[in-house]
Amino acid sequence: MIALIPVRDGVLPAGAAETISECHGFALIAGSGTDDVVLEGIAATALLVELGSFAPAGWTAALTPILRQLAEQDVDTDIVVLPHSPDGRDLAPRLALALDRPLMSGATEVSAHRVRVARRGGLELHEQRPIGPFVATLQPGARGPVTHDGQTAVARIDLVATSTATHDAHVVEVLPPDVQTMDLSEARRIVGGGAGLDTAERFAQLDRFAAAIGGVMGATRVITDRSWVHHNRQIGTTGVVVDPVLYLAFGISGAVQHTSGLGHPDHIISVNTEPHCPMMAMSDLAIVADANQTLEELLALLEEADDRAREDADA
Amino acid sequence: MRIAVCWKWVSLDRDHDVDERWAGVSAADEAALEIALLLRDAFDDCDVEVICLGPKDADDVLRSALAVGATSARRIDASAELDGHTVSAALADHLHGADLVVCGDYSIDRGTGSVPVFLAAELGAAQALGLIDVDLASAATMPLRVVRRLDGGRRELLDVSLPAVLSVEGSVARLRRAPLAASLASRSIAIAAVPGPHGRPAEAEVHPYRPRARTLPAPTGGPLTRVREILDIGGDDGHAETVTLDPPAAAGRILDQLREWGY
Amino acid sequence: MPEQTTVDAIVVGAGPAGSAAATVLARHGYSVILLERGSFPGSKNMYGGVVYPRILDQLHPEWWLEAPIQRWVTRRSTMVLTDTQAVTVDFRSTDWGAPPYNGATAYRPDWDHWLAGKAEADGALLVCSTTATGLLRDGSGRVVGVTTDRPDGDLHARVVIACDGVNSFLAKEAGLYGEVDAANYTLGVKETIALPKDVIDERFAVRGRDGVDIEILGGTSGVNGGGFIYTNLDTLSVGVVLKLPKLGAQKLRPEQIIANLKAHPAIAPLVEGGEIKEYSAHVIPEAGLSMMPTMTADGMLVAGDAAAMCLAAGIWLEGVNFAMASGMYAGEAAAEALEAGDTSAGGLAGYERRLNDTFVLRDHRKLHRAPALVLSDRVQHRYPAMIANTVERMFRVDNPSPKPGLRRILNEERKRAGVRIRDLAKDTLDGLRTFG
Ligand SMILES: Cc1cc2nc3c(=O)[nH]c(=O)nc-3n(C[C@H](O)[C@H](O)[C@H](O)COP(=O)(O)OP(=O)(O)OC[C@H]3O[C@@H](n4cnc5c(N)ncnc54)[C@H](O)[C@@H]3O)c2cc1C
Ligand SMILES: Cc1cc2nc3c(=O)[nH]c(=O)nc-3n(C[C@H](O)[C@H](O)[C@H](O)COP(=O)(O)OP(=O)(O)OC[C@H]3O[C@@H](n4cnc5c(N)ncnc54)[C@H](O)[C@@H]3O)c2cc1C
Ligand SMILES: Nc1ncnc2c1ncn2[C@@H]1O[C@H](COP(=O)(O)O)[C@@H](O)[C@H]1O
Repeated sequence: MIALIPVRDGVLPAGAAETISECHGFALIAGSGTDDVVLEGIAATALLVELGSFAPAGWTAALTPILRQLAEQDVDTDIVVLPHSPDGRDLAPRLALALDRPLMSGATEVSAHRVRVARRGGLELHEQRPIGPFVATLQPGARGPVTHDGQTAVARIDLVATSTATHDAHVVEVLPPDVQTMDLSEARRIVGGGAGLDTAERFAQLDRFAAAIGGVMGATRVITDRSWVHHNRQIGTTGVVVDPVLYLAFGISGAVQHTSGLGHPDHIISVNTEPHCPMMAMSDLAIVADANQTLEELLALLEEADDRAREDADA
Repeated sequence: MRIAVCWKWVSLDRDHDVDERWAGVSAADEAALEIALLLRDAFDDCDVEVICLGPKDADDVLRSALAVGATSARRIDASAELDGHTVSAALADHLHGADLVVCGDYSIDRGTGSVPVFLAAELGAAQALGLIDVDLASAATMPLRVVRRLDGGRRELLDVSLPAVLSVEGSVARLRRAPLAASLASRSIAIAAVPGPHGRPAEAEVHPYRPRARTLPAPTGGPLTRVREILDIGGDDGHAETVTLDPPAAAGRILDQLREWGY
Repeated sequence: MPEQTTVDAIVVGAGPAGSAAATVLARHGYSVILLERGSFPGSKNMYGGVVYPRILDQLHPEWWLEAPIQRWVTRRSTMVLTDTQAVTVDFRSTDWGAPPYNGATAYRPDWDHWLAGKAEADGALLVCSTTATGLLRDGSGRVVGVTTDRPDGDLHARVVIACDGVNSFLAKEAGLYGEVDAANYTLGVKETIALPKDVIDERFAVRGRDGVDIEILGGTSGVNGGGFIYTNLDTLSVGVVLKLPKLGAQKLRPEQIIANLKAHPAIAPLVEGGEIKEYSAHVIPEAGLSMMPTMTADGMLVAGDAAAMCLAAGIWLEGVNFAMASGMYAGEAAAEALEAGDTSAGGLAGYERRLNDTFVLRDHRKLHRAPALVLSDRVQHRYPAMIANTVERMFRVDNPSPKPGLRRILNEERKRAGVRIRDLAKDTLDGLRTFG
């Protein structure tokens, strides 16, 4: 079992540590700036291979012979796991094809005998029992990282020359998260809203409520897709990966792609009409109620409190 | 110039199985067609073909694609849910020679986003996936300039030359509406269907989603600390509380809880 | 420029009214387009949950063999609630559970979709995801078609039938409505609550496909209106109908009122443990005859809720059957006019004649006082307590005191509830005139 981690300029993708944990600390780190990747506390054994800027076809052509060679050297590569980050998702199917193995995409759990993959936007888990080698991608956040103490043994692998011509898009530039987005990823308290909130205006209310408790507002992809909230407010694998201490979820079902970007809050409160959805299952306090009305009541309560504070100050 | 758009026929309502009422194509797939139609204007003599691997009932959405302006539509007949690789292999059989293939970034039901990657690999095309912007003006000069979403709020500018597979998010474009006459006329069009793959659907046990139990860090400290740790971290169900409240009570409860936790 | 699309008739709205109208026209061999703004007929439509499809005997004989129903209503209860009491009049009939049946519960996305499918099968051209946005008129002001929200979306026809539901935009644009008064409308809100079928069978004492219709007076948190509970196969429809100006004045949210109703000791055991699957709200034209528009204009007819055909007499809530009937008659009248080559208001007069001669307007005339009576403050706020207390005292065993006579109890409770004899007499007489 080997974790294959695509890196850009030494930056690990979402879910890298978990993927390495899932593979018992054994990783192949491939990409650009591999020397700069911090692996202490994450990996037991890491193989580094420098591949230049991201190019899924080119990388696949380079990695396939490397994986074959490792197998010949009796390194266990029967299961190759990538994080289900944008780059991992881009690479995994190509690798599966090149290695002629099945792909188990979007897994929450990977082992030799059982793979659970999330389907229907994370509402279902499909349990598959693989026969023979396969390639999988692991949903970030599904496992929770296990830190590895002790040294990381690092070895560099040289590229095997290939003659395969590949055709890839050209990376012009990687844009850093913008300020607003940074805000979200560094926020300690986050109030998230999902499809249970019924209008775009609710998100203005959510924003106000968040501000009132010293936090910031975030949303699910369903909401950003509707353009009710800007994309940089999307929490999840393809949005911003956050790590707050407190998370309040209003009308969010808790699809794995959302929760995987949530980090590990100390406290989660969820308001949802459906008591059994994943978001409620992982909350400390799960309130079965209409999120829209609850939000209005919250604002009303806070306003009352404000008024009282003002009166007290006046008196 | 040949642009192809891949449409997957899915249930748009989570509470219902696919039937003619609740089914359609995702916002992302619709956006894919709109992007294709917009790009068509930048090239001379350009066809936009919509292709769908699905059952006969999917013909309706293909007709709607024609009404909206697609040049042709084709269905690869298959009813069972097949794995991404089988689907893309069947699609690729009909897409050889396409200069540009536009997909949705993920399907609503399978939702892995793997079909476009498989397609790019099979077609020897470049891939640019999960796009949040396509610079239409760049089509005139090529390469195509696109913006792709990475993780952690980062984005990536890509230059894509043909042949290529793009996949777009639903927010990239909104599909235009079909003119009424075209919509009426499209009803009598027979959709060409070709036999599809005979692959068997992947066998899997289906469970409702439950968050995975968190793996704990290696134990430190004595047995008591360890027990406490297990109770605190692994306590997904342990200390979680579910209450049913009316909105005012719910609001009160939230504020009380926040105070209790010291926020 | 695309060619102008012209058909014999356009029906706007594929609800029960529109589909019935389109069916009739198609059967007469006319080209008819049935426009629907939803992605399929019924996709966004809501109502309480019971249909009385008798009128379909004419349009689709033996409809019960294929109609998508949930349960046949074989038990109908009327409940009077106070905060702590409930008086129920319960009627059961096995006859209602066998052909030709009486009422049934059904989901609108099923029912409307089925009815529209019948119209299509008869040759109507159903066009979904398309909203009529206005009327096309010729120089003389005669309606000659509709505009839609689609590109090149104008449609021309010899007759337009507006079946676009309550607050009909088309009827208003045609100038068929006078002033609109909010007091003429009630707000209906409902929750669909999921429970296993055997639990519903058990709690409501029914089996198989048999179902229950409960209408409720009182229990609406002091807002004038009424409540209902209907059984579907594995869900319940629980809702309230609320008088609009009152609702505004009370500052109570409709969903709060449903929550209060569900918490009533007589209702709670019925709904307990259910999961809310859906919440929806819709306006109901309540005032019947007194708010009906002019039914015909040159080149145009109005049917169903668009013409305020819904019979909403308090605990009566029949709209679908009135919609189907008025739609059917509109279709017949339009066919007749097309045949005669005169679709002016005069040529279409057969519509009103049919409405007048059948249950559609007869029932409305007969029950035209009912909404005002049932929603009046006395019926709403005083009679429930009077009735419930009277029944309580009749059944209470107060030994060693001897049992009081019914007349005495009634008199005392009437006084206690603050009802004057004169008013009681008047309301009784009104009630007899209305329902008698
Ligand atoms: C490759 C991929 C990447 C993705 N990336 C992301 C990502 O980065 N971020 C992300 O968020 N999603 C992402 N998604 C989408 C994800 O799968 C889900 O579709 C999405 O997170 C669901 O959002 P939601 O919870 O708002 O909506 P839904 O799943 O529709 O849930 C709405 C919830 O609201 C509740 N509700 C309804 N009405 C009320 C009410 N009145 N009061 C209270 N509650 C109510 C419902 O019970 C339900 O639980 C991705 C999907 C894929 C396939
Ligand atoms: C809460 C509530 C409970 C009720 N309970 C019952 C009950 O239990 N039993 C009963 O028989 N009746 C009941 N009714 C009444 C019943 O729902 C209506 O009387 C009936 O639906 C009217 O049918 P219709 O075809 O006239 O209009 P609708 O059913 O309203 O249909 C109108 C159709 O037109 C479409 N439309 C509207 N505008 C346009 C446009 N511009 N372009 C294209 N399409 C358009 C709409 O999408 C819709 O499909 C209830 C109503 C409510 C609100
Ligand atoms: N059966 C199919 N027919 C046509 N296109 C498909 C099919 N399955 C997937 N696609 C395309 O691939 C995209 C991603 O799907 P998926 O890989 O299933 O998440 C979809 O948005 C479609 O554009």
